[in-house]
Amino acid sequence: MEKNLKIASSPTARNEKPFLEHFLSFIIYSVLLLFAIACLLPFWIVFIDSFATESSLIQDGFQLWPSHFGLEAYRYLFMGNQVLSSYGVTLIVTGVGTVVALWVTATFAYVLAHPKIKYNNLLSMMTYIPMVFGTGLVGFYLLIVNWLHLKDTFWALILPYLVNPFLAFIFVSFYRSLPYEINESATVDGANEWRIFFQIVRPIVTPVMVTVGLFYALQYWNDWWLGLLFIDNSDLYPLQILLRQLLGSADALRLTASYGISPPSTGLKLAMVIVTIGPIIFAYPFIQKYFVKGLTIGAVKG
Amino acid sequence: MSLIREIYKHRYIYSLAIPGLLILFVFSYLPLAGHLLAFKRFEQAKGIWGSPWVGFENFRFFFGNPDWIHITWNTVYLNSFFLIAEIGIATLLALFLNEVRHALFKRFLQSVVFLPYFISWLVVSLMVFGILGNTDGIVNHLLIKTGIDQVDWYQTPWIWPMILTVIRAWKNAGYLSIILLAAITGISGEYYESAKIDGATRLQQITKITLPLLRPTIIVLTLLGIGRIFYGDFGMIYAIIQDNGVLFSSTDVIDTYSYRALRQLGDFSMSSAIVLYQSMMGLVTILIFNTIVRKIDKDSRLF
Repeated sequence: MEKNLKIASSPTARNEKPFLEHFLSFIIYSVLLLFAIACLLPFWIVFIDSFATESSLIQDGFQLWPSHFGLEAYRYLFMGNQVLSSYGVTLIVTGVGTVVALWVTATFAYVLAHPKIKYNNLLSMMTYIPMVFGTGLVGFYLLIVNWLHLKDTFWALILPYLVNPFLAFIFVSFYRSLPYEINESATVDGANEWRIFFQIVRPIVTPVMVTVGLFYALQYWNDWWLGLLFIDNSDLYPLQILLRQLLGSADALRLTASYGISPPSTGLKLAMVIVTIGPIIFAYPFIQKYFVKGLTIGAVKG
Repeated sequence: MSLIREIYKHRYIYSLAIPGLLILFVFSYLPLAGHLLAFKRFEQAKGIWGSPWVGFENFRFFFGNPDWIHITWNTVYLNSFFLIAEIGIATLLALFLNEVRHALFKRFLQSVVFLPYFISWLVVSLMVFGILGNTDGIVNHLLIKTGIDQVDWYQTPWIWPMILTVIRAWKNAGYLSIILLAAITGISGEYYESAKIDGATRLQQITKITLPLLRPTIIVLTLLGIGRIFYGDFGMIYAIIQDNGVLFSSTDVIDTYSYRALRQLGDFSMSSAIVLYQSMMGLVTILIFNTIVRKIDKDSRLF
């Protein structure tokens, strides 16, 4: 009886299905497309308007297609050497920071994940706690400025971010997925733990290192918190802090007073944004998949 | 003794952790000493240890001003908005992306929605200005063209919680959707196969299989967000609002407030009192919610 019912009802279901399924597909595709456009539009506005003339920006404001094109903003931006020096600062901080952070994190996480270690739960807790109980702005500020005397140095921009707990745990979950035998066989061969790590494990984790390294690089490139707190000397301004100074127009005037002509203020901000995000956008098609991979490792482990 | 023996036995392994431990100790644990200043009157020359104790004076001062209710409320409700919008939209995006059958198109969409995650909040702040700026913004130009009066967005506090929520969702939903999509990919195909044999529609497959199996991941993401509900997004709010006092009534959070107390007023003690209050609230929140979650869904608890 039940079988009959099913057979009887299936033709109508089959007739209804295509319409519903198509309707669902239509909704799914339109929502996704709309969201994608919303994601791209701000990038487009900043990009295309950075090539507008200042008079067009003053007259018509921001536009999807500027009324007059010109390169004056970029010409002006590169007149002084502030942009180049800030680029240098950001490149050094990102480069040195990423490499050091990778090594510090990879070795630290190796111990957290090592099966022979008894205290790795304690170590994990120590890594978690600062994420929950804030260390506090004041203590952090005094530490860098009064105790370590790192104000207006590169180190203030690099050292505080060397161990990111979230990224450390990406390493941990990958190490844990490695077969224990790697360890055993090497120990039998008489290799000490350093050799095991540097000669056997390190080459295996290269893909994770690329992913985590990109996360670190992104963090260093985009950070403006450390620069805001600790850098007052304009020779050491990272790109983000220079951008911040330009966004507050009073500071922009002070910074560019030496140029001797009045700056194209809005265009200058836009050009500065393009200069700042340029490398990320160029690299994006190639690096994006590594980020996805990193998040996937993290998600599978929870 | 056993500790020393353990460390000696595996000294090569433990030595690999030294750089990381050092960084963690110096930059995450040493600054905790700053919390002491909450009970002291800070004098630059005497430092943290030498400054005189004042008991709860800083707290009396902080709690004596109604600002504290204000900034606490702003922090909590802004973060709640952010959390709901981000995770809600991310879940929708992940479910929808999973339904896209053309592999190339799917990869393209995924790249596009992930893109905003890669830029700094300062860059976002200029984009927001380009869209909502009072005289130059695209929205106001459109409003004028259609004959409606322009809105001075940057002078209208009540609307900013919504604007900030949209911006946060814009920047982070794509990123979260990739985490969720990874979890969806991990779901065994057999569930869908047998559902199809039983004649389940795609909608039914989404609501009856994918969503329930996504639940643990969504709960973990939500818990992580709730754990940080007393920590305002300084990088975002200070980049976009800056020192625009007109908007403080609806956008000033604990973090921007304590930052101003420190950097603009130079009031170290007051700032520590605020931050200690914030840390305590954060700790209490995570303990309470972990207990609740442990009762409801044991597997999803954090510890």
